[in-house]
Amino acid sequence: MSDRRDALTKLFSAKGAKVDTNRGEAYYEALMKKMSARLQQLETSDLAMKSSIERALDAQGLTRRDFMKWASAACAMLMLPSQFTPLVAKAATLMNRVPVIWLELQDCAGNSEAILRSDAPTIDELILDVLSLEFNETIMAAAGHQAEEHLEEAMKTFKGKYLCVVEGAVPIGAGKEWCTIGAKGETFEEHLLRVAKDAVAVVAVGTCATFGGIPAASPNPTGAVGVQDVVRGKPIINIPACPANPANITGTILHFVLTGQIPELDHLNRPKFAFGYRIHDNCERRAHFDAGEFVEEWGDEGAKNNFCLYKMGCKGPMTFNNCSIVRYNEAVNWPIGAGHGCIGCSEPQFWDKYATERPLADSKIKAPTGGVEKSVDEFGLGLLTAAGIGIAIHAVASASAAKAESEEA
Amino acid sequence: MAYKKVKRMSLFMRINHWVVAICMVAAIATGLYIGHPYYQSFIADPAVDKYVMAWNRWIHFMAAIIFDVSSIVVAYLYFFSRFEKAYKKLIPNGENIKEFGDVLVNLVTLNRVKKFDSAHADSFNAVFFFIFHLMLLWMLLTGLQLYVHAFPHGESSIGAWWPAMLHLATDWTVWITGGTYMDVRISHHNTMYWIIAWVMFHIYYQIWRTIFWNEGDINIVVGGSKFVKEDEKSSERTKK
Ligand code: HEM
Ligand code: HEM
Ligand code: SF4
Ligand code: SF4
Repeated sequence: MSDRRDALTKLFSAKGAKVDTNRGEAYYEALMKKMSARLQQLETSDLAMKSSIERALDAQGLTRRDFMKWASAACAMLMLPSQFTPLVAKAATLMNRVPVIWLELQDCAGNSEAILRSDAPTIDELILDVLSLEFNETIMAAAGHQAEEHLEEAMKTFKGKYLCVVEGAVPIGAGKEWCTIGAKGETFEEHLLRVAKDAVAVVAVGTCATFGGIPAASPNPTGAVGVQDVVRGKPIINIPACPANPANITGTILHFVLTGQIPELDHLNRPKFAFGYRIHDNCERRAHFDAGEFVEEWGDEGAKNNFCLYKMGCKGPMTFNNCSIVRYNEAVNWPIGAGHGCIGCSEPQFWDKYATERPLADSKIKAPTGGVEKSVDEFGLGLLTAAGIGIAIHAVASASAAKAESEEA
Repeated sequence: MAYKKVKRMSLFMRINHWVVAICMVAAIATGLYIGHPYYQSFIADPAVDKYVMAWNRWIHFMAAIIFDVSSIVVAYLYFFSRFEKAYKKLIPNGENIKEFGDVLVNLVTLNRVKKFDSAHADSFNAVFFFIFHLMLLWMLLTGLQLYVHAFPHGESSIGAWWPAMLHLATDWTVWITGGTYMDVRISHHNTMYWIIAWVMFHIYYQIWRTIFWNEGDINIVVGGSKFVKEDEKSSERTKK
């Protein structure tokens, strides 16, 4: 309840909804000093993991120039002025001083897959590879008791310092005992709470971990919820989307490395640098939306002309994310660029309320009261028909009553 | 039977009424287009200056702004009108409840029973109009919430105060409707249908009154006055 209230308070502050991209020179000077000091301190601290980004870059045959290009893009994405680029580059090389424990809960592992499976990994992905090699439940070499020991050790060594990255929803309902992990049969909820307890911050990656996502979609048999509904008293950063954009995950961790703090968040705990803007406002098909030129069927003339996908169910107008700006896979393309509308994957309850193949007006969505799924227009036509019938009956009855009366008179 | 003419609406109120009616038709026509673009723009010539969705949204928002202003005026008239002050008719005291009931009985008995003074605005209509204004207010709040999403930078052509104010005034609608922006939109769309149903009944009822009461009620929103049967004015009667 009190969290609800917190959320409401945050929501009510107009400041919370605003993205400020220019905070003035004094602010950036102070920030520069703070970040430099922080990086210096990190440089002298122990390695948290054996691998390093330099080695990973080498292995992929990427040059310093590639790396610096990436750094300036990352700098811009974090909404920092360009003089911060060297700091961002340095922070990337120091990322292996920040211990990361990566948990995998109720999900499809799609976020890990998106990072690990590309055949030409981007620098964002390489960084995440490096970060997740130490303790990542999905890809670590250790298994069984050995893995558990490894986790205990990491938690002890880096107590109060590690970032707990969570992928997947947390089942807390009647079906929660279906999901356990480890030889002791810990439920996901217990496991998460134990690891999150000594973390410096919790990063929920992907829509399942942030808002419950697919596992929480109606009828939600396991009572799945997001990390923020379970973990209390810890800074929580939500990086939704399905999958979360690797650029946004690295961006958030970079910000943490640079400042020791979590980035500025919106009312849903999403970093503003990534979720401050609406898909629709930065979409390359927007001119066609304003012109009223829509794709009506897959493969029609409009589709060939890259018309707006609104009538094919695009939910870009209600979705806050930066895929229309940073795109995916080193800005190669993104869903709308590839010809499919946005399904609102970075918004709460997206599967039940956004991910339909037609505009809201034609989509069958469950009413808040539950019950039969109907589109708003079906509901509306039913209501108007009922009103029309009522009026017609009253009109006919009134007319015949008046007639009877005048005959009487 | 002698008739007496009673003034019911000033010229300004009548203009306001028809502005509201026109805006409502415009808001419904354009709102439905925004929700599901139901006609196609002319695809033939790519060089033509097409702006179909944008014009629809423009008209929709203009109607909305006019509603805003009109609502403020009507809210003022609720308390300071020189005719029947609407708020007095909304207070659920014995007199008003009785009048509300009597008018309702008149409607369901198909005008066989009419036990109230039809010279002035009655409680039934007052409540009914109040429901309309509540729905309109809800449309304003949900509509403005959908609209403010276009200002993530917190700036607008008329200054930063506008989006800031809109957030303060409308962000709560997200939580009330179910927690997502889509819920706000569903509610905005659904409420439109309740408003259309309201309008259907409203028009029917005003015409019905005009026909069966024989007092020229429809002229209230045209010429500003209606007629009341002299001998019955302010006296109760029951038709046999
Ligand atoms: C979209 C269409 C319409 C809307 C939204 C609407 C709304 C309203 C509202 C809110 C009032 C209360 C007075 C005020 O606030 O101005 C009113 C009064 C009235 N309207 Fe309409 N109206 C519409 C169309 C019509 C039409 C087409 C007629 C004629 C058949 C009509 C006849 C009247 C009459 C006679 C009154 C005065 C009733 C009385 O004072 O007892 N309205 N209307
Ligand atoms: C009072 C009568 C109104 C009616 C009947 C009405 C109706 C509608 C309908 C049917 C939609 C389409 C919803 C959907 O299916 O997606 C819509 C959208 C919208 N309405 Fe209204 N509306 C009204 C007032 C307002 C007001 C006062 C505002 C405030 C500015 C507003 C702003 C919007 C916005 C921003 C959208 C979304 C358009 C977009 O995607 O850009 N509406 N309206
Ligand atoms: S494709 Fe989607 S996001 Fe792009 S302009 Fe159309 S509705 Fe907006
Ligand atoms: S375009 Fe929409 S659905 Fe697709 S990844 Fe971006 S936010 Fe998610």
